[in-house]
This record gives sequence, structure tokens and C-alpha cells, in this order.
Amino acid sequence: MTQPSFEQAQKELERIVERLERGDVDLDETLALWQRGEELYRLCRVRLDGAQGRIEELARRATNNNESG
Amino acid sequence: MKVEAVQYGDRKVYSVAAFNQGVAVWLARLPTVWVEGEIAELRRQERWASVFFTLRDPGGGASVVVQMPRGQFDGLRLDLRDGERVHVYGRPELYEQRGELRLRALSIERFGAGDLLAAVERLKEKLAAEGLFAPERRRPLPFLPRKIGLVTGNDAAAKRDVLTVITTRFPPANVLVAETYVQGPKAAAAVVESLSALCQADCDVIVVARGGGSLEDLLPFSDERLVRSIASCPVPVVSAVGHEQDTPLCDLAADVRASTPSLAGKLVVPDLAELQARLDRARDGLRRGARRAFERRDERLETLRGRLRGAPLLAVERKRARLEHAAGRLRALSPHATLERGYAIVRSGSAIVRSAAAVSPGDPIAVEVADGSFGARVE
Repeated sequence: MTQPSFEQAQKELERIVERLERGDVDLDETLALWQRGEELYRLCRVRLDGAQGRIEELARRATNNNESG
Repeated sequence: MKVEAVQYGDRKVYSVAAFNQGVAVWLARLPTVWVEGEIAELRRQERWASVFFTLRDPGGGASVVVQMPRGQFDGLRLDLRDGERVHVYGRPELYEQRGELRLRALSIERFGAGDLLAAVERLKEKLAAEGLFAPERRRPLPFLPRKIGLVTGNDAAAKRDVLTVITTRFPPANVLVAETYVQGPKAAAAVVESLSALCQADCDVIVVARGGGSLEDLLPFSDERLVRSIASCPVPVVSAVGHEQDTPLCDLAADVRASTPSLAGKLVVPDLAELQARLDRARDGLRRGARRAFERRDERLETLRGRLRGAPLLAVERKRARLEHAAGRLRALSPHATLERGYAIVRSGSAIVRSAAAVSPGDPIAVEVADGSFGARVE
């Protein structure tokens, strides 16, 4: 199965939270949904941190280039 | 006058002198007229009976030699110089000795400032009617010109002003200077030539700069050919000619008019330092924007996680509450409440005693009341 994109993962996470908060889910399913939610959160977190790191790195490199050139 | 010819058989042949004489007679029948032009090559010598000069159309077009008796010329007290615009009243005449056409002047009038202005005004109307000055013809200047052409007088303050501003604002600018005449009878043609030379040299914008001067000084910049060549120049032209209040026609035909040479320099290149600062600001903004976008997502994700963490407990809590509620209702339905009112439950063994026949004397029974139970024996 291909990994969902950040936006897809976040949207699914939102749906899970809303369902859990509505409270019309049975206990076993609650647990399963919660685990899936945590998984999606980690996925989003990794994507976000990775992209932000890349941006900062590029910005730093561009600044260095300008100052040396 | 009768012109003599020699007869060779049936051929009639004239001498050169006779031919010239014949033409001269013909010319003499033409009317006396006013001719307007610029004076060039004025020759006046004490030992000559006549004064000569060349009268030509502005910008070095057609020309004719004018002759006037010296006494008559001196009597006009005009003190004419080369380059001056005059009206000559005269008639065509042949210089028979050489077969040359001349304009014999009977009178000469200097073309005054008022007349010059009127002539410029007429030209302006004509060119305007052709659409030469239409605003929609004006082209924008290149933002970063690769090569700037500058048409200016040699050693002129205007040249220094333009160059100073250009090199201060944009040090790497590439300027090609065409020094030329910027006043006098040769100026218009010279500026036209410089414009085309600068275009040939791949300039992508051209500045024509000349400081202030008298009406006559600036006249070449209202010359029809010069104005047309500016209008048809393949690259945009900035005109910085004269002072603010002067409006030579070249200003109207140019793509941009600068009130001073310094301003022309300013218009033609961007300020490098300012440009750099603007770029830096744009880059900073870009980075801030990217960071903010991340922060917003980050926040949203964290909020979601908070809700996710809270959700199962919330769900369990809600289920517990429902359970307690059910338990409460359950308890309300238990027999305990009946015992409170003084009733007792009697059990024999594990069975509830519902009939007196179910027990015999001596049987042990258990009696349950509201706050507990005790044993007893049937009598």
C-alpha cells in the first residue's frame, strides 16, 4: 500500500478524532481508531519535520552562497 | 534678346555662351519670390563687388548659392552668421560665365524668434496630426539595459550629469557615449547619425542629453528629421534636452521625457543598492512565509493530536457514566428498597420461602432485613 500524502493523512486523522469525540463508536473500535490516529500523527510529524528541515537547509545554503559570492 | 546660332546644314548650333545667355533670358522671366533657409559659407570680401552665401534647407538638404551686391548687403546691417535662418527675397539668375544657377537677393530678413517659434509650432501640429506624439506610441524603458547609448555634446555638463547618476546608481552599467554637435546647423544631422550608430551598436535604450540654451541653440532638437528619427528609433529614447520650461519637439517624440540630464540617468537604470535591498526583503518574506506555513500546519497537527489523545478516555468516561447511570437505575429496582419499609426475605437453604407449607418446625431459616440478616428456627 502506498503511503498517504501529508494532506491525506491529516484529513484521515481529523475524521478519526471527530468520530472518537462524537462517542458513537464501540470500545474495541475506539482502541483501534486511536491506534490508527497515532500512526497518522507520526506520519504527518515526520513529513512536516523533514520538509521544514530541508527549507531551513536550503535557506542557509543560499545565504552562505550569497555572502561568499 | 536674340541669341545667335551657327547653321551647319539643317542643324542649328549654339556656342556655350549663347546657350547660357538663352537660359539666362528664360530664367529672367521667372517671378521674384521669398525663399527660406539657413546661411552657410558666407563670403564677404572688400575687393568683391558681391557677397555670396549658400542658402540651404535645415539639416543640410537642398541648397542654392545666393548673391547680393556688397553695398546692398552691408546696407541691411544684419550682421548675419552661418547657421542663421533667413528669408531671402530674390529671383533666379544664371551666372552666365559658368552656367550656374543663383538666387539673386534683393532683400534679406532675419527669421526672428517669433517666426522660429511659429515654424516649430506648425511642425508640431503637422507631426501631431501624423500621430508621432501619441502617448500609446511610447514604449517602456528596459528594466536592466544591457547597453545604454548617450548622445551628447563633447565635454558637456549634461554628459557628466547623466554618467555620474548612471554609474552611482548602477555601477556595472555599460554606457556607449556618442559625442556630437548639439547646436548649430550641423547638430540635427549629427544627432540623427549618432542615434542610428548607437542602434547599430546594439544599445537597448538611448538618452539624448543637452543642457539648457537659447531658443536658437535648442532649435536642432525641433528639427523635423531629428524628431522623426527619434520617433522611429528601434529602441526607446529618453530625451533630456533643455530646461524644464523648454519643450523641443524631440521631447514629445521620445518615449520618456526627463526634465534634466540627471533625471534621465535615474530613469534609465535601477538603483542597484535599492534593488538588492528589495530582493533581500523579498527573500526574507519568502522564508518567513514558508516558516509560517509550517508553523500553522504544526499547530493544527498538535491540536489534532491533543484531541486524539483525549478522545479514548473521553469515550471510556462516557461509557462509565452510562454504566453508573444504569447501575443506579438497577439499584432502584432491587428489593432492598422494600426491606427498608420493614419487610423481610426468608430463605430456607438457598430458596426463598414463599409458603408456610414449605417449612416444618425446627427447620433453620435465614431472615434478611434492610441492614443485614440473621438466622432463626421455625417453631
